[in-house]
Amino acid sequence: MRALARAELLKQHSTRTTLGLFAAMIGLVLLAVLLHSFGLPTADLASSSRQLMVLGRGEFLGALFAALLGAMSITAEIRHGTIRPTFLVTPGRGRVVAAKVWVSILIGAGFGLAAGAVAAAAGTAALQARGIDLQLNRGDYVVLVAGSAAAAALWAAIGVGVGALVRNQVPTLIGICAWLLFVEGLLAGDAGGLGDVGRFLPGAAAAAISGQGPGTLVAPAVGIALLTLYAAVAALAGSLAISRRDVG
Amino acid sequence: MDERGEDVAAGNGARDPVVTVSSLTKRYGGLVAVEELTFSLYPGTVTGFLGPNGAGKTTTLRLLLGLAEPTAGEALVFGLRYRALADPAHRIGAVLESSDFHPGRSGRDHLRALALAAEIPSGRVEEVLKLVELDEAAGRRVKTYSLGMRQRLGLAAALLGDPELLVLDEPANGLDPAGVQWLRRFLRWFAERGRTVLVSSHMLAETAQTIDQVVIIDHGCLVASGGLDDLTEGGRTLEDVFLELTGGAS
Repeated sequence: MRALARAELLKQHSTRTTLGLFAAMIGLVLLAVLLHSFGLPTADLASSSRQLMVLGRGEFLGALFAALLGAMSITAEIRHGTIRPTFLVTPGRGRVVAAKVWVSILIGAGFGLAAGAVAAAAGTAALQARGIDLQLNRGDYVVLVAGSAAAAALWAAIGVGVGALVRNQVPTLIGICAWLLFVEGLLAGDAGGLGDVGRFLPGAAAAAISGQGPGTLVAPAVGIALLTLYAAVAALAGSLAISRRDVG
Repeated sequence: MDERGEDVAAGNGARDPVVTVSSLTKRYGGLVAVEELTFSLYPGTVTGFLGPNGAGKTTTLRLLLGLAEPTAGEALVFGLRYRALADPAHRIGAVLESSDFHPGRSGRDHLRALALAAEIPSGRVEEVLKLVELDEAAGRRVKTYSLGMRQRLGLAAALLGDPELLVLDEPANGLDPAGVQWLRRFLRWFAERGRTVLVSSHMLAETAQTIDQVVIIDHGCLVASGGLDDLTEGGRTLEDVFLELTGGAS
């Protein structure tokens, strides 16, 4: 497994994909956090839960881009055909998926850490520049940044699983974006009617890990347990599916 | 020619087959890609796997290499299903498509990733790059490679584990005359060391210069197999025999 993980790590850093995703993520984090910090009326930014929401854009985008990274670790191999030599060298396809999961968790954690830290720093500086009193203490910041890393790591594993299940790159990436950006919100919102159950969905669980929505979302520890469960199910399902299907 | 015939005969008698395909069948829904296909390959032979487009050659190779599962029958390499082999990279090298590379990755990194996964020392990567004469281009991204260079990079990947069996799908596509000659010499050299080659092709005149055994399929079924010399006796060319057997004769 060590050898396979090293191979997957080399695949990740030998193309420009990882760096490109990282740069896009940091750009969007800055855009989202600064737009909220400077664009919203001061009254809307006074409470700690609102401030957590703004700084939590780092967690959201970290999780989203980590999921895309994890998914592409497998769908890009299918798209470019490198999955054939990969499976010729390692016919145990479950081991290949497992190596991709671990490497994606590692890089995803880095993505989440960076996104969370950049969001926290930029948001804090922007709020201070507007003279808004910060309601967050050191503990809030620790949960925000560390939680962002954990949420992104677990979403990266979900991405690998979804990629192995769907296989086709474009539908996989659109599906992940659509779920996190729209579908989960719709299901949990008034129209979806899931109501309270919505906090147990994977996007909400990721937000909970970084301490957002205290009172409305589940506790961070429950969020970690939930999201770990989602990640394990997705990775296992993807691994089983790709082991059984023919490679084109 | 006689020498070659004796080698094959000795191989047939003395050693276990490297590849055993028996009653291999693959259906996709109602479409039959391969049907009841049976043949064996013995050590030290270069076998041409021939058939018209859509005859089921690539499907057969994918079944042999564990990338697809047969509907019925079996395809064994060294007596085992490919996916049951403990260390396949050291026993079988294969190239199925000339384009199985990430365009943004260098040729060297492509090989290094495969070497890491197969636990092959990185020095071997430089060896195979030299062998296929890609050592100077190895640092460039694959998107800058010509088709011939991609073919050779694929071959380099197949050779990483110094395998006993090479399986190549249309390896001469995109090679210039010098490249074709190089490939021919390489395959003969490979087989003379007692190793085995299975090479699919539709370039019959070229293939005839390289191979000593023939397996011809059409519509997923075996139409002929055996020594090239036996098949082409009486002065007929491989092309004549092929067109007659596959119904393409004019």
